[in-house]
Amino acid sequence: MIATWYAVVSFMLIVYLVLDGRNFGAGMLHWLVARTPEERRQVIAAIGPLWSWHEVWLVGFGGTMLAVFPKLLASGFAGYYLALFLILWCLILRGISIEVGGHINDRMWQGFWDFVFVVANTLLAILFGAAAGNMARGLPLASDGTFSMAFFTDFTPHGNVGLLDWYTVSVALFATVTLAAHGATYLTLKTEGAVRDRSARFARVLWATTVPLLLLISVESAAIRPDLLEHAVQNPIWWLGLLVTCAAAIALVSGLVTGREMLAFIGSNVLIAGLLATGAAAIFPVVLHSTLAPENSLTAYDVAAGPKSLEYAAVWWPIGFALATAYFIFVSRRYAGKVSVPRDNQGFY
Amino acid sequence: MPSLLNDPAAWSRIQFAFTIVYHYLFPQLTMGLAWFLVYWKWRALRTGDEKYNQAARFWAKIFGLNFAVGVVTGIPMEFQFGTNWAGFSQYAGGVIGQTLAMEGMFAFFLESAFIGALIWGEQRLGPRLHFLAALAVAVGSWISAYFIIVTNAFMQHPAGYRIEVDGLLGIDSLGAYLLNPWAWIQFAHNQMAALVTGSFVVAAVGAFYALRGLHPAQSRLYLRAGTIVGLIASLLVAFPTGDQQAKMVGKHQPVTLAAMEGRFAGGSMAGVALIGQPNVSARRLENPIEIPGALSFLAYGHFGSFVSGLDDFPTESWPDNIELLYYSFHLMITLGTIFIVLMACAGIQTLRGRLESSRWLLWILMLAFPFPYLANTLGWMTAELGRQPWLIYGLFRTSDGYSKVVSSGDTVFTLIGFVGLYSVLGLLFLLLVGREISRGPEEEAIVSRGGEAPR
Repeated sequence: MIATWYAVVSFMLIVYLVLDGRNFGAGMLHWLVARTPEERRQVIAAIGPLWSWHEVWLVGFGGTMLAVFPKLLASGFAGYYLALFLILWCLILRGISIEVGGHINDRMWQGFWDFVFVVANTLLAILFGAAAGNMARGLPLASDGTFSMAFFTDFTPHGNVGLLDWYTVSVALFATVTLAAHGATYLTLKTEGAVRDRSARFARVLWATTVPLLLLISVESAAIRPDLLEHAVQNPIWWLGLLVTCAAAIALVSGLVTGREMLAFIGSNVLIAGLLATGAAAIFPVVLHSTLAPENSLTAYDVAAGPKSLEYAAVWWPIGFALATAYFIFVSRRYAGKVSVPRDNQGFY
Repeated sequence: MPSLLNDPAAWSRIQFAFTIVYHYLFPQLTMGLAWFLVYWKWRALRTGDEKYNQAARFWAKIFGLNFAVGVVTGIPMEFQFGTNWAGFSQYAGGVIGQTLAMEGMFAFFLESAFIGALIWGEQRLGPRLHFLAALAVAVGSWISAYFIIVTNAFMQHPAGYRIEVDGLLGIDSLGAYLLNPWAWIQFAHNQMAALVTGSFVVAAVGAFYALRGLHPAQSRLYLRAGTIVGLIASLLVAFPTGDQQAKMVGKHQPVTLAAMEGRFAGGSMAGVALIGQPNVSARRLENPIEIPGALSFLAYGHFGSFVSGLDDFPTESWPDNIELLYYSFHLMITLGTIFIVLMACAGIQTLRGRLESSRWLLWILMLAFPFPYLANTLGWMTAELGRQPWLIYGLFRTSDGYSKVVSSGDTVFTLIGFVGLYSVLGLLFLLLVGREISRGPEEEAIVSRGGEAPR
């Protein structure tokens, strides 16, 4: 039961990161792939109608985590305090840059909001990447299961760690490049003309860059948390995740090489989901690993809600998820195909 | 009492209060406005009259701006349960997490999947699906409100819970939790109040155009819908929903009722104070002008009913800000009464067909729109200040709920960040909504003809 809930909560976070990750990536590349104001409206139109649909997956994840792992939310969110507020502020700025930018058809106005859009999306990718690195490395968890973490301490991944150290920064770098590649793959699928061509070029270069970075963080992870790999190889889900990741990588590469944009995009989504799933499987059952003393670590079993709360959640969650899947199909079908700025712009000018 | 400056719970309370009050300025309008959109899309579908589509298109833009700010300011609300209220999340997450998660799964997914379709999708969807998108967004926003109000009702009047072996709360009966009688009444009261906000805003824009002689057909539509819905909702928000809400407080939180009314001494024939200033240290209401027996009658059904005063309860169980609670409640009631009178006048003039020529009434309608926002805020302040010193009434104190690992320095930092960011956001919002209103509903028709043909 608790392992299943761990999978469900991880799944919701992964769905969020895959869905919104494309927006982070597209946002980072906004200036690079789109040069003229008209081209930039194309990028915004590819994101505009859907960003709030993507963002609510984060809310769904937070709510579900509170329902089934209340102590994880309490310890983790309070401990990540400042980092989480930075994420929230960036999400606010990213959202309003999309909404507000399109309201006034003026170059200076849109130029300013394009700037906010680029900065907020880039920071979001970095912050989520650093958070993933923190989950793998561990946190300065005290014996009462709480922690309070500074942005940085001595930049080493041991003992009294901070949010940023050389390991989490390298994970953040990998995440940023990967999400940029993901966004480029998405823009290749959704846009036309010069934006599409530039996006396709960026997708190839960025995906190629992720390979050495992935190798680097794999070696680093094995050095910092040797126990993770020992754990992971005994977990069949980890092997499954690895298999899915490899299959997705093949689909992505063949899609990129042959110009099949949809295949590449599906490969890109599944690849990121697979990587995150292998990470989630590798750390299970520990959800918060203590860098101070291993016995302080919290497992999913330590942080779960009471049995009856979990049973009730097991009734309504699948219903809610089935509905969400139905909306997902609706949204995907309605917004299938290339965007058209006159039709998909925000209708304000 | 710890002073404000070194009490981390106080800073977290201020931050939560600020962010929630700000956030709720936006959903209260979208929840009210959503049904106007549904109505106009439905009329457009039935009559084929373009003016209804024009109205829906214009208000969908205002709706979209509100929705976007509502989404971005709403996400911090959920996160603050963990960041600032870890003690509370740990203690009650097994219960309140159920509804917060359900809100995401059943309401936000529905709303957000269709909001894009409502605002940007008219040409992609066609009229029938576009109407359904409006309906989905309206239903989604009200479901969302229900789940949030169930969560708040649990904090006001816990139901359906049990204490697990580790001493934390878990769900005992999901049915009892979701069907908490407090939640039903609070939901009805709150949703009527949201309709009041929506109808005042619609009527205000109608009055603005009517006074300037602009967009006569559209302005008539807004005034008519705004005043009629406004009258019905203003009545319903007071009776029966507000009345029942107060009776519920009297039954389950008698000390709160005493504080709301500024009553220190208990007794029968208890009056409702029209005016008066509570002096908490002297334990009396100063300069009171009261309607004798009204409180006894309203709260318990008889003029002779005994109503407890604050003196009947130990000081530790008193709400910790009686003055603010008292004024919040009284101002809300005063505003609610004014809304009924105003909308009754406007409704009568509408039915006589004379509203557009009653310039003084149009002026009042145009200037009245901020007050429902104020009344909604005051109502929530009454609910939340009245619940103190409890975070979950009778079970868990506010002073136990905050995040102990977060220093005041961090909370003050993030509070300053929110104040700054939300000030900018508010200015932008006013600028853009003002711009849309001054451009008016008719400009849009020209633009949409320039777009692509519907599929």
